[in-house]
Amino acid sequence: MNLLLNKISLPLAHFTLQVDAEIRSRVTAIFGPSGAGKTTLLDLIAGLRRAQSAFIQIHDRVLTDTAKQFSVPTHQRGIGYVPQDLALFPHLSVRQNLLYGCKSGGAADPLFSFDHVIEVLEIQPLIVRGVTELSGGEKQRVALARALLASPRLLLLDEPLASLDAPLKAKIIPYLTRIRDEFRIPMLCVTHDRFEALALADEIIVLVNGQVLQTGPVLDVFNRPANADVAKIVGVETLQPGSIADLNEGLATVKIHDVTLTALAPATGTREVFVCIRGEDVILQRDAAVASSVRNRLSARVVALRTEGALVRVELDAGFPLFALVTRPACVELALHEGEPITALIKTPAIHLVSR
Amino acid sequence: MKKQILCVTAGLVLLIPTLSLPAAEVTVFAAASLTDSLKEIAAAYEKESGDKITFNLGASSTLARQIEEGAPADIFFSADDAKMDGLEKKGLIEAGTRKSRLGNSLVVVVAADSTLQINSASGLTNASVKKIALADPKVVPAGIYAREWLENFQLWPSIEPKVVPTENVRAALAAVEAGNVEAGIVYKTDAGISRKVKVAYEVPAKDAPVISYPMAVVKESKQREAAKKFLNYLDSKEAGDIFKKFGFILRD
Amino acid sequence: MTSAEWQIVWFTAWVSALSTLVILPFGLALAWALARRDWPGKSIVETFVSLPLVMPPVATGLILLKLFGRRGTIGGFLHDQLNFDIIFTWRAVLLALSVMSLPLLVLFARVAFEEVNPRLEQIARTLGAGSWRVFFTITVPLAARGIIAGMILAFARALGEFGATIMVAGNIPGKTSTLSLAIFQNVQLGEDAHAFRLLGVSVVLAFAAVWFSQFLLRRKRK
Repeated sequence: MNLLLNKISLPLAHFTLQVDAEIRSRVTAIFGPSGAGKTTLLDLIAGLRRAQSAFIQIHDRVLTDTAKQFSVPTHQRGIGYVPQDLALFPHLSVRQNLLYGCKSGGAADPLFSFDHVIEVLEIQPLIVRGVTELSGGEKQRVALARALLASPRLLLLDEPLASLDAPLKAKIIPYLTRIRDEFRIPMLCVTHDRFEALALADEIIVLVNGQVLQTGPVLDVFNRPANADVAKIVGVETLQPGSIADLNEGLATVKIHDVTLTALAPATGTREVFVCIRGEDVILQRDAAVASSVRNRLSARVVALRTEGALVRVELDAGFPLFALVTRPACVELALHEGEPITALIKTPAIHLVSR
Repeated sequence: MKKQILCVTAGLVLLIPTLSLPAAEVTVFAAASLTDSLKEIAAAYEKESGDKITFNLGASSTLARQIEEGAPADIFFSADDAKMDGLEKKGLIEAGTRKSRLGNSLVVVVAADSTLQINSASGLTNASVKKIALADPKVVPAGIYAREWLENFQLWPSIEPKVVPTENVRAALAAVEAGNVEAGIVYKTDAGISRKVKVAYEVPAKDAPVISYPMAVVKESKQREAAKKFLNYLDSKEAGDIFKKFGFILRD
Repeated sequence: MTSAEWQIVWFTAWVSALSTLVILPFGLALAWALARRDWPGKSIVETFVSLPLVMPPVATGLILLKLFGRRGTIGGFLHDQLNFDIIFTWRAVLLALSVMSLPLLVLFARVAFEEVNPRLEQIARTLGAGSWRVFFTITVPLAARGIIAGMILAFARALGEFGATIMVAGNIPGKTSTLSLAIFQNVQLGEDAHAFRLLGVSVVLAFAAVWFSQFLLRRKRK
């Protein structure tokens, strides 16, 4: 898909939203802290708000051109929207909600048949219920189905997993992936959760205080944040692809290249994962032989040191790039230098696995 | 010493008549058609006597009802005998104070710029007269007189559907002035004070019912002496001249 | 109750019902505009709409009389061009009742519209619904309770209207005589028994209307 967001400018309460981006991938995450202007951006794309200046185009169809005072009205844009509060119509049944966007009389063939959508999102038993009787996860799926049944050519999702607890999040992600794979609709997801972005998106746009700080494939942005602001938001120092070799008693054995780690078993059943380790959770130790509760003890070599205020960011080679954050006094005490061998300790619960 | 005290006392006693008594306030409930004439008479009286006259002007039927319910009237000046009779029967009128000297005639009025010609009672049945304003013919004297007049000519059934009943005779006049009705039946004295209407037809005395304006002191009055005094003034020549000026008929 | 009295009750009821229907489209449009839109001069419009609620009814009646009388701006045009009279006919009763009860409908409907989550309307638009469809399938159904309560109160207000009605319609027996006007006249005539019977009917009608609207407003949303 080709979504062009050009010269978008809209003064908001505390900052001005300014976006210039071209979105080509299947699933793009707009990622940033709360209040960065992400929902406003979705509203602009859907035509629910007007910008001071904007040029928005999908494929070869211009949706908004403020220079020519041209704007396609929302109901003609064909853009599906699942807002954060889902906005299911409380006075209509589930079935009526689902059918609301279906074009009657078969004026144009719907992109996806009613039955197919119901099947993919597994909401058949919910159809006859009233909207208020549904649980959080059920409402989410109905809202997704409703948007799909309107045959959109772009789907906007505002924090699709935010209001769900961990087990529920794990349950919904496969549905979103199914939508991506089965219906092949381009999706734009707003999220402030980096793991959500990892799990869902191919590309990511980092939006902070209304400004685009970085765009690019997810892994690239996370591993190579363009600047300290992005790094702070992304907040994961070590991010490596790995695969689960074994699952036993709630623990997972993960392999990154040849290195084996023990982590908590993730809720999803996928084998391919991203392994995320925060720098603060890596402990450096000289003496490898001391007994402790830590399961993961890695022999590593110091590659580089970088002072960041009161802390030092230590880049290690543990068979894969591993980052640790330690205090300066600790660095001095341990006499860390480039090339030094050191043992890195990582507690099992500190290793975060995200399905790929 | 005794002589001085006597002198002072005599002086004080002699002063008494020259001390002005507190002015009395007399409230007159009077028919709407008497509005302008009564106001002029009252102004003259106030200068002479020092008393104050206040008015409550409206349909005699409404006023009678208010007196029945205990409204503080000192004098009742009605536009027909029936209303006064009604109050007398209920014992609300001071015996011996009832007088009646005024009459009036009925006229059919049209707007000053109207081209309508009405030459007789049957003229009102004409199709070009779509609406006729009268004071409520069920209960207000002016309306009752008008109805009686038309009933005499057996015209009431055909005219009644066109009637717009108003609260009092001045309201009927106002409706004609505003142009919302083609004609109205009011007293000659009312037509006289309005420049926005003209008389299309004056009902001859022989055709019309006898119109009389009885006046009397209300029994419950708290200013009976002052009321009687004003009533006498209303009966006087000066008042009579003013009534005649406004077009009332004097039947002394 | 005589047949003449029943005629008065029937006339009052159907003219009041008709006035409520007549003000409905305009009242809803106005209430929606006040709830959802902003424009220069909005506060002036708000004030004008509330005036009949606050001004003495006879004052409103006087304004209507001047406007719609044969020499008035609107009335003159209707009379001269279309030979159409309003003052002193049942149409004047309809006019007076409509003007006096409109502010109540607008007040309640506006609050009802303001309570509808605008997000729902927005999402409906993303699903392909144009403005009219959104209004009738989303906004109005969700605001229905408040709108109906407003309609009922407007109806009750129309039932009891006196001051403006007597100004523009007079009290023509059989043609423009409403319950309130008839009670007034019967009192003047000294026909207290008649007056009290009509008073009884008014109280019953007004009580039923207000009670029903309270019931609607109190019912919990499902």
